[in-house]
Amino acid sequence: MATIVEAANLKKTYMLGKIPVDALRGVNLKVESGDFLAILGPSGSGKSTLLNLIGALDKPSEGKMLIEGIDVSTLNDGQLADLRRGIGFVFQFFNLIPRFTARENVELPMAIAGLSKADRRKRAEDLLETVGLKERMNHKPTELSGGEQQRVAIARALANNPKFLVMDEPTGNIDSKTANEIICLIKRLNEEKAVTIIMVTHDQHLAGQSKKLVQMFDGLITKEVVN
Amino acid sequence: MKAQDILSYSFGAIRLRKLRAGLTTLGVVIGIAAIVALLSITQGLQATITRQLHTGFATDTLIVSTGGGLGAGFGTGGERAASSGFKLLINDTQIIDNITDVETSMAIIQRVGWTGNGTTNLTTTIVGVNFTEYSSIYSSTFVAESGAIPLNPENETIVVGKRVSDPWKNETLFCNANDNVEIIWTNATTLPPKNETYTGHVAVVLKEIGGFSAGGPSDSSVYIPISQAQSFFDTDECNSIIVKLKNDDKATIDNVSKAIKDAFSDQVSVTSATAVLNILSSVFSIIQLFLAGIAAISLLVAGIGIMNIMIVSLMERTREIGILKALGMKNQTVLLIFLCESVIIGAVGAIIGIASGWVLANVVAIVFRGGGGAFTGNQAATTGGMTITPLLTPTVTILALVFGVGVSAIFALYPAWRASKLKPVEALRYE
Repeated sequence: MATIVEAANLKKTYMLGKIPVDALRGVNLKVESGDFLAILGPSGSGKSTLLNLIGALDKPSEGKMLIEGIDVSTLNDGQLADLRRGIGFVFQFFNLIPRFTARENVELPMAIAGLSKADRRKRAEDLLETVGLKERMNHKPTELSGGEQQRVAIARALANNPKFLVMDEPTGNIDSKTANEIICLIKRLNEEKAVTIIMVTHDQHLAGQSKKLVQMFDGLITKEVVN
Repeated sequence: MKAQDILSYSFGAIRLRKLRAGLTTLGVVIGIAAIVALLSITQGLQATITRQLHTGFATDTLIVSTGGGLGAGFGTGGERAASSGFKLLINDTQIIDNITDVETSMAIIQRVGWTGNGTTNLTTTIVGVNFTEYSSIYSSTFVAESGAIPLNPENETIVVGKRVSDPWKNETLFCNANDNVEIIWTNATTLPPKNETYTGHVAVVLKEIGGFSAGGPSDSSVYIPISQAQSFFDTDECNSIIVKLKNDDKATIDNVSKAIKDAFSDQVSVTSATAVLNILSSVFSIIQLFLAGIAAISLLVAGIGIMNIMIVSLMERTREIGILKALGMKNQTVLLIFLCESVIIGAVGAIIGIASGWVLANVVAIVFRGGGGAFTGNQAATTGGMTITPLLTPTVTILALVFGVGVSAIFALYPAWRASKLKPVEALRYE
């Protein structure tokens, strides 16, 4: 299987006021196509920092972050933006645009990529059907429940046929029953549609559903388990 | 991202904050309206004055004077000779007539006096002219309301302006054609000053000229034959000499002006209608620039308002910008979205501003007209009523639009640039 994401001796230091904080202290990681990777760890262990680097939202201080063989640190802002179009993001707090309907939110990444209105409308409807929200597609985020919003966010993440999905605590802000539905959806996407998923979570149950589990502590990967 | 999608995204953002966008737009509206109103009023005024000058002021004429009267205000060379005791004589027309390119010249004697109809005395300017030459030079303004200007007048024959016949602009006439009126002048050269008087016969009333008159015939003057003026005012001097040229080429005007000054050893000032029009036009340009400058200040304030609002918007939407960037939006697209929002506000503001400025200019013109009428009602004999028709040229319209949009874009540049430079990780973390 092809390697999609590869981190080699990855380090990230950022300044907290005047104090440098080593968020990542040399992480080595490989994610292959079709993987379902869960990153676990306590607060401050560096898992969100790692996820930001995998999602090309940030550049490493040292080491290499390769996405499909491309070294992220060599890219300029424009090239990073291009790269991010091939990555699907799902956030803990959904991060939908409040003034847009569910369908318009799903259309947004396609509009950014320059797709025609007709094409993106059709695809947005298909994606919302996949996540089971077709009949709610003309509702705005405020008219949707937390679980529904997260499903819209997942549909949005899938909009541009991403190489992989990056999920930051996707069930962190929804009740357990709804979380189960989201877990099922994520698993189904991975198994049926072979979508590669890299996910940070606190949810042991969700982590248990993944194919591979990485435990982080104090900026380092301390354990790797294949389920 | 496609241009239409950027536009629609910006529109959506504006629609979300209607009141705020409305108030920001209002700032632009006021600025643009002020500019448009002031410019269209001054341009209208300029057009009116220029038109009236063209009517009352033949372009192929020169006015020679000793520096007093019109020449004092608009003297082209600034040379004046009044103080040296130089006197311009009626016979001096013979010198001028010999100059190349001069068709004819005629002297004017002018005094301020009164015209009485037995019950009322009206302050008027008494002007002594050669009726034949005067009506040939000012063929469009020295025209009788009915009948014809008498070309071989008797000594008592007089021609009166419209405001002398009908000073109060109502049914009550001061005098009419075929009436006899008293012409009164105070001779201050004798001690004690003595009132000279004679009875004039109104041959015709002039057609209304309108506005004010500089140099040419006016509504508030009484015209008497030059020979009569000479004996009545007991003088051989004239106030000015009107010179009719063979053409109104600039070269002819310049050459003849110079020749006249040379002939009188630089002791006269020579004024050309064209020069007056040019001076007026440059004066108006300065006034317009000045007024537009004042109005531009309000647009500047609007621009700062736009910047302020865009910075607030940037802060409120930091997270949204983070999302857009995470979804792959490029920095320049973020910049364009913000600029586009501001340009939409600027364009809408400019369009509404141009329309309201135009309405405002017309309202001011109507008010001015009404007020002007009230003022001139009692003083009609001395001041003519003048109407201003605001003028909105395509240049002003386009400039106002460009200015409104330009100011909006310039003041949005900084907030838009800051938005475009936001780091996605930090923007997403922003609460």
